[in-house]
Amino acid sequence: MFEMLFQALVFPGFLAAFVIGFLYLGIMRKVAAHMQHRIGPPIWQPFLDFFKLLSKENIQTKDSVGFLLTLCPIISFASVLTVIIFVPVAGFGMVSFQGSVFVVIYFLVMSSAFLALAGFATGNPFGSVGSIREITQLVSYEFPFVVSLITIGYLTGFEIIPYFSLHFPFAFLAFLTGVLGKLSLPPFHIPEAEQEIVAGPLTEYSGPRLAMFELARAIGFWVLISIGAVFFLGAGNIVMFAVNSLALLFVLIIFRVVFARLRISNAFRLYWFIIGPLAVIDLVRALVGFY
Amino acid sequence: MHDYLLPFGPQHPALIEPVHIKLRVDGETIVGSELVLGYNHKGIEKSFESRWWAKGVYLSQRICGICGAYHTSCYCQGIESLMGIEIPDRAKYIRVLISELERIHSHMLALGIVAWEIGLDTLFHYIFRDRELVMDLQELLTGNRVHFAMNVIGGTRRDVNLEQTRKIEGSLEKLEERFRYYMDIFKNDASVRNRIKHVGHLSKKKAKELNPVGPNIRASGIDFDVRETGYLAYKDLKFKAVTGEGGDVLERCLVRWRECSESVRMIHEALLTLPKSEIALNVPPVIKIKEGLETVSRVEAPRGELIYYMKSGGDKPYRVKIRTPTYQTFHILDEIIRGYGIPDVPTILASIDPCFSCTDRMTVVDVNTRKEKIVTKHDILHMKEDREG
Repeated sequence: MFEMLFQALVFPGFLAAFVIGFLYLGIMRKVAAHMQHRIGPPIWQPFLDFFKLLSKENIQTKDSVGFLLTLCPIISFASVLTVIIFVPVAGFGMVSFQGSVFVVIYFLVMSSAFLALAGFATGNPFGSVGSIREITQLVSYEFPFVVSLITIGYLTGFEIIPYFSLHFPFAFLAFLTGVLGKLSLPPFHIPEAEQEIVAGPLTEYSGPRLAMFELARAIGFWVLISIGAVFFLGAGNIVMFAVNSLALLFVLIIFRVVFARLRISNAFRLYWFIIGPLAVIDLVRALVGFY
Repeated sequence: MHDYLLPFGPQHPALIEPVHIKLRVDGETIVGSELVLGYNHKGIEKSFESRWWAKGVYLSQRICGICGAYHTSCYCQGIESLMGIEIPDRAKYIRVLISELERIHSHMLALGIVAWEIGLDTLFHYIFRDRELVMDLQELLTGNRVHFAMNVIGGTRRDVNLEQTRKIEGSLEKLEERFRYYMDIFKNDASVRNRIKHVGHLSKKKAKELNPVGPNIRASGIDFDVRETGYLAYKDLKFKAVTGEGGDVLERCLVRWRECSESVRMIHEALLTLPKSEIALNVPPVIKIKEGLETVSRVEAPRGELIYYMKSGGDKPYRVKIRTPTYQTFHILDEIIRGYGIPDVPTILASIDPCFSCTDRMTVVDVNTRKEKIVTKHDILHMKEDREG
């Protein structure tokens, strides 16, 4: 009982997700800044932002739907946090059963869907456009992302356990681009394209509600990078886990630094007609046992 | 699906200065746009009329933060032609030198912003880092990074010495290499090209009809550059206008990069052939010009043709009318935005390199009745008469 509580609340659960998720964000900002010949903010800046937001007031516009404004961040945050239960981070597995991959997929979609709903709930044109983009992007990246998880899941009994899967390069590619899409990182930062639609779904958000979304995003980093490190790079112990996670983070930073933003139509085509079929190739290979 | 109204500005992250573009959007496609100006009118044209000629130089410098040297250059050129004097050769060369340095930094700023608008922060930071080389040169020559106040009526304020020449040559060599690198990125990098090629297209025919100025018209294949008239020292520097083909965002960017290279070449040439003479004529602080004399002065600013119309009222101007390049370029905005998506709007807007604060006109809105009224020249003249009784 005590062990379970510790795992849920401290490591790899809430506290670790909170600290490491924001730390990932901070590292990403700092490293990207150095790559761009800037100094960048200190790596604890996301924490400061988060606590500052908590101390601000919630502002609600006239056109918004009040209860959704509060509900969406909470569900988005809770569903993404739940995922960590099924991921054996550094050997600390909490719940594990055959088919947990599907639960993970479901909770990850929940998080994005409620972000989109939040954008519609604000009644702001930028929020609406952002939400439409968020959903379009969800529909685009979900196919290759799910195929890649199922490919590896087929070999592990649809259970998230350490598995080294680089002999499925396309599945890994599909997973990586799926992560970029899920986290709205360049070149897929389309739903919150600052220069076009201000902040997308989050345009009208402020205060603790925005902080909740920020937290959900940070935990999304932690969860998705952990899945990558465990499920695709086979991290069984804490050292391997740390190395793999940081390597994945670095790859995400490289993507962030070198690519310009795609248009939503480009992203849709890229996911469905290039990355999707490639991922299917690996799925077929896994099904027929050719690897 | 019916269309809806998406406000672009006056407060928007992609805009540096406030302007309001009402976008009619169908899904993600723009079906129409309307430009609303009037957020940063400064009333400068009117203020000219209450200042002595010489004091107007300071005022014209402050019309634009990026191309201030062109405004003073154009203003001084106008007064010099009203007075019937010709400035020394060395002053002409130094004016060209400062102008071309400012053109490079203005173009780099515009192109950096294009890079930022397509979501590639890295390129933006790289371009702005290299822009510092030019800013340093400007500081070296004039003492200021912006607002040089280099031009005075009758010449320039400072001279260029040998040590400065050497430093300029060194920096320009570095810049030349960087221009080639950026040109290659804009042309060949897949993720950049994807966003800026075949976007914001302005055909040669439409360009002739709507008549924008500067790199925007040259990118559509029309050779129109005031520098070709050979004012100041451009005749001796063998200036050749840079033109492009196609007139999309990419072409407008490439024309700007090539113009930067051309500017570097001209600066080299100007430093080599700098004539030895005075840098300024001795002009009295209070200038008296015969009332009613008028002139039109033109220079090629980074954004295109800049025109000053001036009419003398004795020791002060009776009227100064400024037509900034962006004012002429705005007409193409609806044409090049329509039919493209929301993601392309900031890119297209940045690619015409607008400068709103130079351009803005005054719109008076009656708050009670919501009626708008544009203030015309006639009204302004009446205001003057009312004030003078």
